[in-house]
Amino acid sequence: MRLVALLALASALLGEERKPDRTISIVAERFYFSPSRIVVKEGALVEFVVASEDTDHGFRIPAAGIDAAIPQQGKGELRVRFVAARKGKYPFECSRACGAGHNLMRGEIVVK
Amino acid sequence: MVNVFACPVIVVALGLLAPALGGAQSSDLERRVLQLEEKMRKLDPAFGRDAPVDLLSRLEALERKMERLLQAPAEPAPPAVSPLQPVSVSGDYQASKDAETRLPVSGYMDFHFNKNRGDPGQFDFHRFVLLFGHSFSDRIKFWSELELEHALVEGGEEKGEVALEQAYLDFLIKPYFNLRAGMLLTPVGLVNERHEPPSFNGVERPFVETVIIPTTWREMGFGATGDLGRGFRYRAYLMSSLNAARFDARQGIGGGKTNGFEASFRNPAKVGRLEYVGLRRLALGTSFYSGHAGFDLHRINPRINIFSVDGRYGYRRLEFRGLFANTWISRSGELNASLERTLGRNPNIGSQLRGAYFEPAVHLFPRRLRQDLIVFTRYEKYNTQHRMPKGFVSLPQFDRWSWVAGATYKPNADVAIKFDYNFNRNASSVIRVADTLNLGIGWWF
Repeated sequence: MRLVALLALASALLGEERKPDRTISIVAERFYFSPSRIVVKEGALVEFVVASEDTDHGFRIPAAGIDAAIPQQGKGELRVRFVAARKGKYPFECSRACGAGHNLMRGEIVVK
Repeated sequence: MVNVFACPVIVVALGLLAPALGGAQSSDLERRVLQLEEKMRKLDPAFGRDAPVDLLSRLEALERKMERLLQAPAEPAPPAVSPLQPVSVSGDYQASKDAETRLPVSGYMDFHFNKNRGDPGQFDFHRFVLLFGHSFSDRIKFWSELELEHALVEGGEEKGEVALEQAYLDFLIKPYFNLRAGMLLTPVGLVNERHEPPSFNGVERPFVETVIIPTTWREMGFGATGDLGRGFRYRAYLMSSLNAARFDARQGIGGGKTNGFEASFRNPAKVGRLEYVGLRRLALGTSFYSGHAGFDLHRINPRINIFSVDGRYGYRRLEFRGLFANTWISRSGELNASLERTLGRNPNIGSQLRGAYFEPAVHLFPRRLRQDLIVFTRYEKYNTQHRMPKGFVSLPQFDRWSWVAGATYKPNADVAIKFDYNFNRNASSVIRVADTLNLGIGWWF
């Protein structure tokens, strides 16, 4: 476990230069993420490319301390990189009010 | 790793030892120095490899080592390892590091100009809606919409309305099972839960989702929500029932919404929706509603069943959306007779209401542009007297259809300037319905 954590830290420090092990495109739209359940391998450097089909959304991963804005359609995309350091299930959610069904705009990262 | 906190203890011990050098037994001193050297080697295994022979030199070596350890900077504590190690975030323009997600006020507005053929036009600030939310924690969240319709509310007059459109708590337990309670939007159709003006074409909402599915339809209730994986999501609620005493032939079940005011939970309605959103730009949904609606009636308690299917699909710059809905009202003959005794006229409520629409649209601007121009057409057919109870005759003016043609210009994804023209028809050769011209601006913030 300690070795994995140290490797993860080293990967995190070197991650900017490293090519992601996996790049996943996520669509954000009122009121869901697609896909909403994402399975990645422990220790992998993962990149999410998140694009909106409508308004601004937020992208919050509490386990990674990430809370960023997804630009509205036509204004680009959000790129988030992280190292899946520990096995487990970690939620992500929309963190910007986007309409009537905002609370259920959620998903889950599963690290195996 | 060097434990610097042990060092002062050893220095104090050395200090106490020094005055005793003169008179103490040399064997005892040597034993105690040896113990100190062993302790020092625990801090630094390399210490004492070339140890001097005489006791005083060994003590001086210990002192020097102590000094070096005390002067060395303490090593920083290793950083906590979070389960997902962030590496980089790009494209973000409003990051927040607050532990508690406090959502700002947001909302949407709808400003219309409607003109029936042959009538003067009318401006209407149709909707002014503010949304408030709060996250008590990552697992308990609040959400609400407060709406002012038609700009003005005055006591007792038929003008606008202030309405609590939704207000509920979500208890997030597992992705596939969460609990929700409060004033809820009935999960039926495309528009009722997704009604922000830039998210649909046309100044006004589709007729089918106004008459057959009476948006905005909200009731008190509670239930479960969840994401089943592979793109499937659901909502299943028990909700306060419709009031059949306020049904009529023109608006169908729309007048029977309680909107949470004096809502009855004597026979709660069972409402559910299953959605599939597993493929990009495809969303499919089906909804059902089943509940008794006779809490305000004497001796009859008609059951209302609703079934609907809907879908949205985008391919390149084309978009399609469509919906079919059917409503069954049991004991509608007895309901008509009962209401006729009360009202003095026959409301002529049907036993089945049916409606459907299909809307193709094309985005004229390339996807990479920030602006968008959408041209659309929509065919709607809806009949609030699709089937009548035995002994009652349907009226042809309630068998209606419309062609809607229009455009939506979006200078920004959240601002929609809309225009449409509605060719409205019905099956009656006597009672005609006027065509309608609509202009509107709607925005979300």
